[in-house]
Amino acid sequence: MTDASVQTPDSHHLESGTVALFVIAIAGLSLVIQNITHVRQAMLFLIGVGFGICLLHAMFGFTGGWRMFIRSRNSTGVRAQIFLLALTSILFFPILGGVFEGTSASGAVSPVGYAVLIGAFLFGIGMQLGGGCGSGTLFTMGQGQVDMLLTLLFFIVGATIGSSHLSWWHELGDVGTISLITSYGWVPALLMTFTGLLILYLLAVFLDKRRNQHLQPVFVPVPREKIIPNLIFGKWPLWWAVLGLAIFNLLTMLTAGHPWSITFAFSLWGTKFWSAIGGDISSWSYWQLSYPDHALNSSVLLDNTSVMDFGLILGAGLAAALAGRFAPAAKMTTNKWAAVIIGGLLLGYGARLAFGCNIGALLAGISSGSVHGWLWLVSAFIGNIVGTRVRVVIGLDKPY
Amino acid sequence: MKHKTSKVIMGATLSLAAIAVAIDHTQHKLPEADTVSSEEQQDIMESGTPCGLGAAPCSLGEDDALDD
Repeated sequence: MTDASVQTPDSHHLESGTVALFVIAIAGLSLVIQNITHVRQAMLFLIGVGFGICLLHAMFGFTGGWRMFIRSRNSTGVRAQIFLLALTSILFFPILGGVFEGTSASGAVSPVGYAVLIGAFLFGIGMQLGGGCGSGTLFTMGQGQVDMLLTLLFFIVGATIGSSHLSWWHELGDVGTISLITSYGWVPALLMTFTGLLILYLLAVFLDKRRNQHLQPVFVPVPREKIIPNLIFGKWPLWWAVLGLAIFNLLTMLTAGHPWSITFAFSLWGTKFWSAIGGDISSWSYWQLSYPDHALNSSVLLDNTSVMDFGLILGAGLAAALAGRFAPAAKMTTNKWAAVIIGGLLLGYGARLAFGCNIGALLAGISSGSVHGWLWLVSAFIGNIVGTRVRVVIGLDKPY
Repeated sequence: MKHKTSKVIMGATLSLAAIAVAIDHTQHKLPEADTVSSEEQQDIMESGTPCGLGAAPCSLGEDDALDD
């Protein structure tokens, strides 16, 4: 593969050969999926590609944004995430509230209980040790970061183990599902959600300004002559990613009937593999429930989350190649190895307990009006604080 | 780890993943093409979302629960 002489907006060299490979892979796989399953699966795959491009070109990471805030109170990433939550809620609440007759969709509504509390906390620690969350792990792995490949591998292992223990965790108890939309109607629910997000936003701004002189803006203008080059080759301001992710999440809802999710696929892949090599899953009661059982006993290409994850990885790889940033050189130390392995396991185990990751539980949960999403947010953030400290202790980061 | 090594590892990984997907796909019989849109879609729409318990990935279905 040779580098073309084209320079990207941030002065990297476009990898034309790698770009061509990813384009062929994406086009080819979408046609294969359409022909052997259904056009809807191909659409979900391409929506996944869109997610990957948005995430990579803006380097939109929950993990990095939270770590910046914890270490230095830089709230730029956190505020972008709050905007994403608000915009997605605006798009989802009317749909889930039944405004559009004939549109059938389900929100991400899950029980509020110990499983979410503990799972999200473990996930939060895993975010900082593993170097990424659900979406972050996939798009950085798609970019070709080998350490994130390792995180993903153990993410899958952790999620699979988590699925085998799930019944035990749910016996600890919960208060049931609490849907603001069902309880109060979509308009009051949206107002309540906005109130919560506004409180978080003002708190983030207050803490940022108290520590730092200037608040870095999320909505950074892009000169007109740079819009097209930046759109194609990166680098995106965070608000472009906020818009893109919200739109693609809406397309997911309209196509699949549910919000964007990521980590169900990991436990599915791991359980399929374990079962294929002779592992006994007969006592894993989670996989006897309707949706998981159907997914386990069907082609992985029929699983919405799986095809979207495949798309996300390839979309991120394409974006990285366009930006001249595919497969960067990696430096792995012993501590780094340990961190990604433990982090990956915590990510997977925690996500399975907590009904999802930052995407399936946090973003989908809050934008579906589910209270479990808010519990996930608080618990995971506390986990991130712990994880950020551990990074310093084991030498991955300098003290703060 | 050099850039070229990273590329090789990623290429090998994606290739292995593609083979695994192909093997998994051939292990399962697909529903008839003309019924996928109706039966599959109805199943998904009624069952909810990916990340939750049973009913669908991200939510808890009322008719599914982990009872022991």
